[in-house]
Amino acid sequence: MTLAIVQSGVSRRAALGVMGVGALAWSAWPRRSRELAGVPRGRKVLHYWEKWTGAEGLALQGVIDAFNQSQEKLWVIRVPISDISSKAMVAVGGGDGPDVCGLFSYSVPLYAEAGAAMPLDSFPQEDWCGEAGYLPNVWKLLTHEGRPWAGVNTCYTLGLYVNRTHMREAGLGGTDADVPPRTIGELDAAAEKLTRMDSSGAIARAGFLPNLPLWWPYSWGVLFDGRLYDRATNTAMADDPGNIRAMEWIATFPKRFGREAAGAFAQTFSRSTHSPQDPFISGRASMIVQGPWLANFIRLHNPSLDYAVAPVPLADGLAEPSLPRGLVEADVIIIPSGCKDPEASWEFVRFMQRRTTQEQLALAHCKSSPMAEVSAEFAGAHPSRYVGVFDAIARSPRSDSLPPTRVWPQYADMLGGAFDTVWRGGDPASALRDVQVRAQRLIDQATELRGRRRAGNGRGDA
Amino acid sequence: MSTARRRAIVPWLWVAPWLLGFVLFMLIPSMMSLYYSFTDYSLLEPPVGIGLANFAELWRDPLFWKVIRNTLAYASVSVLVGTVLALLVAVLLESHVKGRGAGGVARAIIFLPTLVPLVAAALAWAFMYNPEAGLFNRVLGVMGLPRINWLGDARWAMPSLIIMGFWNIGTAMVVYSAALRDVPRSLYEAADLDGVSRLGRLWHVSIPAISPAILFNVMISIIWSLQVFGAPQIMTEGGPDHSTYVYQLYIYESAFRYGRMGYASAMAWIQLLATLGIAGLTLALSRRLVYYRGAV
Repeated sequence: MTLAIVQSGVSRRAALGVMGVGALAWSAWPRRSRELAGVPRGRKVLHYWEKWTGAEGLALQGVIDAFNQSQEKLWVIRVPISDISSKAMVAVGGGDGPDVCGLFSYSVPLYAEAGAAMPLDSFPQEDWCGEAGYLPNVWKLLTHEGRPWAGVNTCYTLGLYVNRTHMREAGLGGTDADVPPRTIGELDAAAEKLTRMDSSGAIARAGFLPNLPLWWPYSWGVLFDGRLYDRATNTAMADDPGNIRAMEWIATFPKRFGREAAGAFAQTFSRSTHSPQDPFISGRASMIVQGPWLANFIRLHNPSLDYAVAPVPLADGLAEPSLPRGLVEADVIIIPSGCKDPEASWEFVRFMQRRTTQEQLALAHCKSSPMAEVSAEFAGAHPSRYVGVFDAIARSPRSDSLPPTRVWPQYADMLGGAFDTVWRGGDPASALRDVQVRAQRLIDQATELRGRRRAGNGRGDA
Repeated sequence: MSTARRRAIVPWLWVAPWLLGFVLFMLIPSMMSLYYSFTDYSLLEPPVGIGLANFAELWRDPLFWKVIRNTLAYASVSVLVGTVLALLVAVLLESHVKGRGAGGVARAIIFLPTLVPLVAAALAWAFMYNPEAGLFNRVLGVMGLPRINWLGDARWAMPSLIIMGFWNIGTAMVVYSAALRDVPRSLYEAADLDGVSRLGRLWHVSIPAISPAILFNVMISIIWSLQVFGAPQIMTEGGPDHSTYVYQLYIYESAFRYGRMGYASAMAWIQLLATLGIAGLTLALSRRLVYYRGAV
């Protein structure tokens, strides 16, 4: 071919040049990207970053499809993003964020203080339920210093899942195995009775272990009337007496069941949560603290499992059946500052905040509704017969929500470290006192720097 | 354009793409990170100058010292044992596996794991370390030994990660193999005439002759092991009880989880200086230990 080019009088350099220009022209030629292939002409496209994939992502896609069909101006494209907190922080901070972004409720204080999200009360308020539409514990998660910065995208609390077959076999719950433990004392006694050790000293079946899974190491204090944070004084409360009592209770597990045996049992299942090998789904754990979504995975992997769900037991003397207690957390949806068309983003967020939309999503995710009012159809159609348990915790005035401070991710990790220390035999009070000092230092530092930033912006309160 | 001028410009044009990439993606970000190390910067809001506060906080931060201890423990054991292991395998292959075919297959098998993506390897190893169903505890069980909670026990988690690191000795082994083949036969013949034993040949001939390759591998291993990140992040997330929490993991979490880019930048600069210091020390020590054939 080279010979042919030379013979025809075209130099190699000229041929390469033509090819180069051709390649450049081809790459620069305007064309419709593949993601826009299904977008009807004339629609403004919004990119919505969300963390959910699999069945949860499909459920969200159903809601997005409903929005896209409901009007003719906008078209929302869902972009599934893993490790969304980190990536959103980089993208939004760099001025190249999405039009709408799904985050976790703990991100709200940071985004609000940094002005990285747009306050929802700065948009037209028609067709938005506002505070009255949400559960009070959920509304607290969406607001920061009195202003709403995010919409909700389902909420959750934790419940105690109990294997009824195991309960019956162990003679627990009296004649009715639907009566799970209500107090920490009852939980301890049941755990003792339900645990089976094998001949080598390993745990063959766990009655109950608080490190299974170790996802919410900060959540135990609330069961002992402990608080994590004082909103009024902006103070960490890691060493609150209730939290110390909770850690003292945690410390009893490695003593009762063997530190190594209990640690190895939890480690065995560290990668199988929600799979057919999940400790509760596979019957290797009789009781487990988990979110409402576990019912979805039970239906999928072991539909014949005979189980019940109850509020996580409280310390003796605190239990009031009509007023359960727990921590409420939520997934949220924000409009990043600097997005290309905030009004269009708001239209979608407002759609997502409709009661019907949240119910549709909560049904698919097997969660309770984050909204104050719930339709009769929602309860009737819900795939989990125990959704009422989670709903009651989320509604309860005795429940709390995560601390509204931007340092919460680090504070939570410190509490996780304290859990590890106590599990290894460390002193609960000193472990939590250490967390208290370090967390408060972070909070004070963040407050001081915020003052300096405000002063620099001329909004001075420093 | 005159030839002299052209000669002066053309080399710069050839290196320009690299130079541009270096300035844009290395030099400028590095200088920015140096600036951020003296600020509080969350990525979401403008940085605020805080002088040396990040460095002072690091000094008081118990986790900072913990990750330094963990990283140094990981680096020292994995560099030392990894180097000896790779060298041993290369020597065994070069001296005991006869024939190009068999040697090539053996080298390919040992090199193969380096081609496996880290995430896949880490997940496979995590499964092998599973206390109940994992391969290692099955073997221990067959031998009548007690099970070990490899990744869930603070005493075993770091050794488990170090052992997993040896999965990747293939690259170093290939370099040692090539260097061993390059050792002049005349040196071995002279040693034979002097009645040197096989071990003596290795110690007095092979190792000095391939010492530049050893230095190269040790240097690369030090730099890489001080930057260990993927395996701890995927397999243990730094736990249990921060026993596998390494320096890079803390930098990553500070920057992208806690929104403390300034703090993370301060850590990164300390790491850069420490790595330069360790590399410099290694080079200084190597002057007395490394033999260069061409050197006078």
